[in-house]
Amino acid sequence: MSEERVDVDVRGSRAETTQRIKDRLGEIERAQRIRRILMLALAAGVLVLTGAGLTYLGFTLAAVVRQFPVFLDNMLNFATPDFRFFTLYSSGESLNGWSGFFGSLANPGSLVESVLQRNQGTSIVGASVVTIIVGLTGTVVGFPLALFFGVLGSERVTPFPFNFLFRGTMSTIRAIPAIVWVLFYIPVFGPTPLSAMFAIATDTIGNMGRLFTDELEEVQEGPIEAISSTGANRSQVISFGMLSQVFSSFIAWALYITEINVRIAISLGVVGAGGLGQYIKGQLAQLAFSRAAAGIFMVIVIVISVELFSSRLRSRLRPDEDAGGGFFDAVKRLFDGDRWLGRSER
Amino acid sequence: MPAITVENLTKRYGDTVALEDASFSIPEGEFVVLLGPSGAGKSTLLRILNGLTEPTEGGVYMGDTKLSGRRSDIGMVFQMHYLVESMSAYKNALTGALSREDLLRSLLTWYDTPDKVAALEALDTVGLLEEAQQRAGSMSGGQKQRVGIARALVQQPDLMLADEPVASLDPKAAEEVMGYMRDAAKERTLTTIASLHQVGLAREFGERYIGLRDGRVVFDGGKDDLTMDVVDEIYYEGDEEASAATQEAIQ
Repeated sequence: MSEERVDVDVRGSRAETTQRIKDRLGEIERAQRIRRILMLALAAGVLVLTGAGLTYLGFTLAAVVRQFPVFLDNMLNFATPDFRFFTLYSSGESLNGWSGFFGSLANPGSLVESVLQRNQGTSIVGASVVTIIVGLTGTVVGFPLALFFGVLGSERVTPFPFNFLFRGTMSTIRAIPAIVWVLFYIPVFGPTPLSAMFAIATDTIGNMGRLFTDELEEVQEGPIEAISSTGANRSQVISFGMLSQVFSSFIAWALYITEINVRIAISLGVVGAGGLGQYIKGQLAQLAFSRAAAGIFMVIVIVISVELFSSRLRSRLRPDEDAGGGFFDAVKRLFDGDRWLGRSER
Repeated sequence: MPAITVENLTKRYGDTVALEDASFSIPEGEFVVLLGPSGAGKSTLLRILNGLTEPTEGGVYMGDTKLSGRRSDIGMVFQMHYLVESMSAYKNALTGALSREDLLRSLLTWYDTPDKVAALEALDTVGLLEEAQQRAGSMSGGQKQRVGIARALVQQPDLMLADEPVASLDPKAAEEVMGYMRDAAKERTLTTIASLHQVGLAREFGERYIGLRDGRVVFDGGKDDLTMDVVDEIYYEGDEEASAATQEAIQ
């Protein structure tokens, strides 16, 4: 109370106050002007560097303008996808263009047949299923090791210098992209989807493990302290104080990595490890652009559906949305169709 | 003319009645404290006054105009201050002038000079002129809340609302913040409605008290009418034991 009275005195007369505010505004404006000049200089620097980089790459606007019709022409080749090889049925009946797609959908049995007999000839449906299976199983196979390295890589779990043993392993794995990892497995399992699956599993250890470690670094200190003050032993403190805090974010990250892995599975096909990538590469090699376009269409369908499904699942598992229940209540709610459609919220 | 008139305000959420038939009027420049236990309807009342929630029945009038929707002439001070912590106190205060600026000018901090002066004046009112360029995140809880008051003042409001502005502060900081808030209100003849949990603080800073319980106005009066029995009735109706214990603790 008394402090505040003194303050009023210090503030003094109206005119004095106005002057002090004016001075302060001047100071702030000066500081702001300097900051603005620095920001402009920084922006100019970035622009100059980018320009230099583009010149180094041989970029000229004229070339882009000149080549644009060629680019457009190429793209137009993909505008009329040819689903001849969509299923064994469509290739057997020689259904070209979109009739291959709709003709096969009209015969649902042909979809199943193409999946079951994927070795009896190329079909987009069969290749898609291979790609999805490679992505999903690769994630599941890599998960336990990702969990192991991820948890032990955290400084909260393993004391400082030793956690770098695990962090370093994950960093090394991450430094090598999956498309290179598959080259390590091809001598072992041949250029097959199996090699692709192992490449993805290896990649998952690095990627998912890193996310797990980061998540663990950010857990709240409070609950850990509280659990250890109950006299729990070290591994109990880790399980109850730390891992229980990050359980649902681990699930969410695992789903996110699954999403990415399906995308990687497509790219691995390009080096011959089966699936949709291989189909697309094969068609492009024969300059069959329309048939390649059918594969690309399927890629878009798969990637978007996996992403939609996974992000919907992740938002359902977010803890704040199910305030009252645990993880299994959340899982139970997954089977509530209305919630998926966004109805009957709250 | 009364600055604020609340007429038969009722708010129901489904079957729950948050506010029932609340009526009162507040003359311009009065410092009103809302008292009541958690769930009594204090926050609902403030949210309706602020236009964040529409009432089920009844209405709020400022002068002769009925209020609805959010308005820049009603300033709000939040319990958890809600500052943008990465910005300076000055820039936080300036956000109170956003309704008078378009996006580009506000992004570049090209506010009109009167607005800049208003922001600094508001910071001066809450005793933070020297700290104007400090990052809000690095300030103490009491300072943050004072920046929150400054932001509300820069809106040049006709009514200032405060939802438990000092609930998360220590007693000394709480006292300071309430002091600055009262000074600001007095300096600008600003009608203020603040909800408070601490009866002691309320007695010290309020001019008028409105007690809510179960969504009803159970008390409306000045400092002299706010006796221990009244406080008792607001907080402890039907719980003699707890009331006795608290009274003992206070004495």
